[in-house]
Amino acid sequence: MRKPLISGGIVFLIVLLFFAIMPSVYSNEDLFFQAMVYLALAQGVNILYGFTGYLPFGYVGFFGTGAYAASLCITLLHFPPVLGIIAGGLASVVLSILLSPLLRLSGAYFAIGSLAASQMVYYIVSNPSLQNITNGPYGINLESVYQPHTSYVTMIVILALVMGVVIYIRNSRFGLSLQAIREDPVSAGMAGVHVVRQRAIAWFLSALIAGLVGGAFAWHISVFYPTTVFDLNISIFAIVFTLFGGVTTVLGPVLGMFVLYGFYNLIGISEPQYFQLIYGILILLLVLFLPSGIVSIVKRRGHYVP
Amino acid sequence: MMKTPFRVLSRIAVSGLIASAMTLSGLAAANAASTKAPKQITIGTLYAGSGSFADSSLPQYDGLKFWVNQMNAKGGVYVKAYHKKIPLKLIAYNDQSSSTTAATQYNQLITQNKVNLLVSDFGSVLTSVAVPIAQEHKMLLIDPTGTGGSFFTPNNPYIALTSLPTSGVWPTSLADYLIKNHYKRVALIYDQNDFDQSQATTLLAKLKNAKITPVYNNSVPTSTSNYSVLIHSIMATNPDAVIEFGYNTNDIPFLQSVSASGAHFKMLFTIFPGQLLSNIEQNVGVSGLAGTYTYPTPPLLVYNKVNYGLGMNAFTKEFQKSTHSAPNFLDVAGYNAGLVIQKTLENTTGLGQLQLRKALYTFSGKMFTLDGLFKLSPTGAQIGETLPVAQLIKSGNGLKVKVVYSK
Repeated sequence: MRKPLISGGIVFLIVLLFFAIMPSVYSNEDLFFQAMVYLALAQGVNILYGFTGYLPFGYVGFFGTGAYAASLCITLLHFPPVLGIIAGGLASVVLSILLSPLLRLSGAYFAIGSLAASQMVYYIVSNPSLQNITNGPYGINLESVYQPHTSYVTMIVILALVMGVVIYIRNSRFGLSLQAIREDPVSAGMAGVHVVRQRAIAWFLSALIAGLVGGAFAWHISVFYPTTVFDLNISIFAIVFTLFGGVTTVLGPVLGMFVLYGFYNLIGISEPQYFQLIYGILILLLVLFLPSGIVSIVKRRGHYVP
Repeated sequence: MMKTPFRVLSRIAVSGLIASAMTLSGLAAANAASTKAPKQITIGTLYAGSGSFADSSLPQYDGLKFWVNQMNAKGGVYVKAYHKKIPLKLIAYNDQSSSTTAATQYNQLITQNKVNLLVSDFGSVLTSVAVPIAQEHKMLLIDPTGTGGSFFTPNNPYIALTSLPTSGVWPTSLADYLIKNHYKRVALIYDQNDFDQSQATTLLAKLKNAKITPVYNNSVPTSTSNYSVLIHSIMATNPDAVIEFGYNTNDIPFLQSVSASGAHFKMLFTIFPGQLLSNIEQNVGVSGLAGTYTYPTPPLLVYNKVNYGLGMNAFTKEFQKSTHSAPNFLDVAGYNAGLVIQKTLENTTGLGQLQLRKALYTFSGKMFTLDGLFKLSPTGAQIGETLPVAQLIKSGNGLKVKVVYSK
């Protein structure tokens, strides 16, 4: 038990040190901020999909809710940004409670249901009738509290919390119970696992993470439209990064994000004409030869992956 | 016993992170701006090579590229501060219509490429993320078409809109035209985004002042592409003027649905035929556009008597020679952004960003280009250009534009 925790801790430290140090090496801080956003979201997807088997295509709904709730707390209620971010996380948890009946679905039905739910939230937020509250289609302007360096540090703290939670789940009875539910809920229930409660906790945790990250993102980017924070590509990126690295591990989403997001920026910036081709081939190769992600190469040899 | 897993783990983690660090660091470019007579003036911009904004962003980028090539063919742009011509270098990244990617790339242009001038991508969505970034880095943002009203505030001196007024001002002539021609039964349908809603707000306020209450007033999501039910609802209100505010991706299905439904309205107005006529004509057909109204922009509005840059006809000729395609409004907007940069450099006392801004105001209200009068408000918004109302009239196999109202 201690040794897996130590190996998870090493990944934790390396990742956080990387993000803490890199802005002083390479001054495009925003690049690393976005990388942290996707890594934290990928870990949120990991908790939900990796450990429970629910694939949340509409995960961006929690992200956008967090972004909007944090922004509205800052602009309307004059919360300090950090408090706004916490409120954003809590708002996403409230939304996840409202949407918890979705957990009665499974497989593709759940994926489509969560997607529809995220679109529903998007249309509510961007509706002109709510302009007095959400500013409707005019979006959010947080220029008065724009502090890119402070929001960067806040994002590191959120990432640390998220990584800590995933390391805990990976190495705890709670994580084992989730995996048991994912494999066979009936057997897990008969073995004494409280299926509904454990699933719901994973669902709330996952929503909390997306909400906190959305709040930090809103603060960092400061001017945005509803389309920016409810962009389905955010869900897709988080899911693809998780699957590419390998689910149910701490390291998988880390590797997935670093490799794919690194390529996304490198190819997308320097060779945009080949970007979609190369990215597509990379994902195709993964699906064909490494369906369980990069970490499966190590797992197949019987080694432990944190 | 745990030696092997630890070794494997550390190999994976360390090599993965080093590779990633190298990948991310590979983004670095070696452009450093020097303080005295630089070898080249670097202009950084973004374009959407794919996604929902590609149709509009690519021509804007083509227009800017055309201007850069023209300048470099003449030995560069004259910079008053150094009393000599300096070649231009355009650094452009593809944001794929994603504003989160755009945010990273604007940062890249400022912090790594250290560009002398920053030009934003097409439209408000892809410009919005650049506004706080440019302000934070004290970098003047040359904004060709991001017309969101919230970008222009008294406490932000680092933005200048080069084409088109802010979107809330657009329907001024349209409202006047409707009122003057006694249209009493107006139907309004608009998309739920900053660009369209701000126009709807202005139009509704002006109609209200004239005691006209729209018989139909509805907003729809920007992603709407099926208008058939909506058009029948509009028809049921028996309007004599139908106004649709949307992007080109909305105007096309809207006009197609109107044609398919067999509906006929005394006046039918859409925005983008005035900017992307050939594109919309390809999709809707001449018959679907004939008789409809729009805001005409260059090249539909032809300004040949200019005091700076090429006139419209000369530009069309040169542009076609260079790119083998006819220009649309966004090509003009990209080229016009280049002309504004050119004139700024000709008037600036240095390459400092506030010096550049100061230079902009030396010719604001005096420069007339193929895009119209360039005039900035104190907040950097464009107030020189106006948008008249025009009707598209069938002429042979094509369409011609007849301006019916101009303020």
